[in-house]
Amino acid sequence: MELIWYAVFTLLLSGYFALEGFDLGVGLLMPVIGRTQETRDRMVAAMAPFVLANEVWLVAVAGALFGVYPHLEGEALFGLYPLVVAMLLAWVVRDAGLWFRRRIDGPGWRRFWDVTITAGSLGLSFGWGVALYAAATGFGSSLLHPLGLLLGVVVTLLFAWHGWTFLGWRAPETAGITRTGRALALSGLAAALPALAVLGGALPYLLDHSAPASTLGVMGVMALPFAPVMVLAQVWVWRFFRPGRSAVRTPSFF
Amino acid sequence: MDALDLARTQFAVTGSLHFLFVLLTLGLAPLVAIMHTRWTRSGAPEHERAVRFWGQVYVTNYAVGIVTGLVMEFQFGLSWSGLSRYAGDVFGAPLAMETLVAFFLESTFLGLWIFGWGRLPKWLHLACIWAVTLTAYASAWFIMAANSFLQNPAGAVERGGRMELVDAAALFTNKTLVFSFPHVISAGLFTAGMMLVGASAYRLRRGGEDAAFFTRSMRTGIVTAALGITLTVGFGYAQFGGIQEGKFKGDTAATPLALMMDVGNLMFFLAVFLMLPLVRFLPRWRWTHRLLMILTPVPFVLAVCGWLARELGRQPWMVWKKLTVADAMSPGLTPGMITVSLVGFTAVLGLLALTDYALIARLIRRGPRDLDLGAAAEERPAPALSL
Repeated sequence: MELIWYAVFTLLLSGYFALEGFDLGVGLLMPVIGRTQETRDRMVAAMAPFVLANEVWLVAVAGALFGVYPHLEGEALFGLYPLVVAMLLAWVVRDAGLWFRRRIDGPGWRRFWDVTITAGSLGLSFGWGVALYAAATGFGSSLLHPLGLLLGVVVTLLFAWHGWTFLGWRAPETAGITRTGRALALSGLAAALPALAVLGGALPYLLDHSAPASTLGVMGVMALPFAPVMVLAQVWVWRFFRPGRSAVRTPSFF
Repeated sequence: MDALDLARTQFAVTGSLHFLFVLLTLGLAPLVAIMHTRWTRSGAPEHERAVRFWGQVYVTNYAVGIVTGLVMEFQFGLSWSGLSRYAGDVFGAPLAMETLVAFFLESTFLGLWIFGWGRLPKWLHLACIWAVTLTAYASAWFIMAANSFLQNPAGAVERGGRMELVDAAALFTNKTLVFSFPHVISAGLFTAGMMLVGASAYRLRRGGEDAAFFTRSMRTGIVTAALGITLTVGFGYAQFGGIQEGKFKGDTAATPLALMMDVGNLMFFLAVFLMLPLVRFLPRWRWTHRLLMILTPVPFVLAVCGWLARELGRQPWMVWKKLTVADAMSPGLTPGMITVSLVGFTAVLGLLALTDYALIARLIRRGPRDLDLGAAAEERPAPALSL
């Protein structure tokens, strides 16, 4: 049972990196390749149908952390207090930017929220590198450790590259490059590698610190019937919004 | 204030903000789903306008519900790690189910609903909004189950200084859950109904071309509000059977409770014995519209009072008669840390909440036209013309 929930937890966190990684990457690239408002609109429109289905993987990670590793939950989040607060605020302003940017017409309004999308994406990407390093060292190291900061830069660059690959797959004209679905899968795997490496190293610790079998069993029984629906819903998102004729629809809601 | 007071303030502020948006989400979701069903069956343009307009109000409100919810979820680990250490094996299960199953599906289907407009087959598109509604209700149920465990730790025993889950059925049929869940759901319906009434009153009072549209909306709102408040009051009184002894002894919890009940009863009489019988006339009686507009925020205030009563009445316990709030606080949390996060969360979420309400007000002022939700593809000028 512990092993199954470890696999679920690993799938959720690495899935978050592989999926939300390209949303954050697109956000990072907005000032780089989105020089004009129209290009930025098309970049956001390209990722928009995926964002809600992608970011929710982290919500699930946090829930699983509470249910499966309640001890780690308190230790990890409290141990990284300032970083978690900063990352939450980054996440909040990124999301607000997406939801609000098109609610009022006008270049100033939209440009402002585009900046919050990029700033939020940067905060989250960089924060993940720092958080993973802290997790790998058992939350004992300083948050400003050079290696942690370096990992922050690495994750940021990785997400930006993954985001660029995504754009090359879904909106080649906007990205200036053309990428296949296979290339996107590979960049997704690369984006998930840092998370996979840390979770792989933490396997013995996590198996030791799982919630008791009774709790894991109840959650398994309750979650299992919904697992096929969850998979189906995610597959639908990719099926309906894959590239093709007029894949990137403007005006998009985001 | 010491760290404990600050941490409690942070939870109260973010929790109340979150609930203001969630409350309307819970009430509007089924209404939008019903409107969408009508549109799918009739294909009528006026039905489509209703879905797109109230749907856009719904998703605009949803945005701040999400972002405040994110902060809520992580706050348990940030400020209250003592709770997960002591009762995480039990309390964590419903929370995990909420995020893992309910919210995961809700968010995925909402994305499909918003961005699949005009792309998904129409019955599948309709199924998406119903899935969003059902999973939103499931979310509320899991969250209320987690909260009810704090009120009445059923289904668990203490072993070796920690709570252990022994009876999952008891956890999910908690006597403080069975009536509080429908109470919250009905309060959402009441709130959404009053929102439709208030917004329609504003539009009808001003006059203009959308009179027919907002006349229908006001009638829908009145019927929903009357149904919602009746159930809310009924399930509200039903909760007293399962309440912890001595919960409302102190003034701190008894005051918001009394306010909620007195004003709630007044609203019940107003909605059921005045608004409902006059449902055919109120859209035309412009002199009533100002009063109907003023009533719009009342359900929100009552809902926050309800939470204050429920949560303040639990003090000083985090888990009733098992774990105090002071013991549940993360050890080592300093006033400095919590002050920074309290200021950060309050400022950012508060500003976003105000922005969001301004956007909803603007949407209502402009009426059901030029909507973003379900907008058809832009007519892009041919390249030759744009040179």
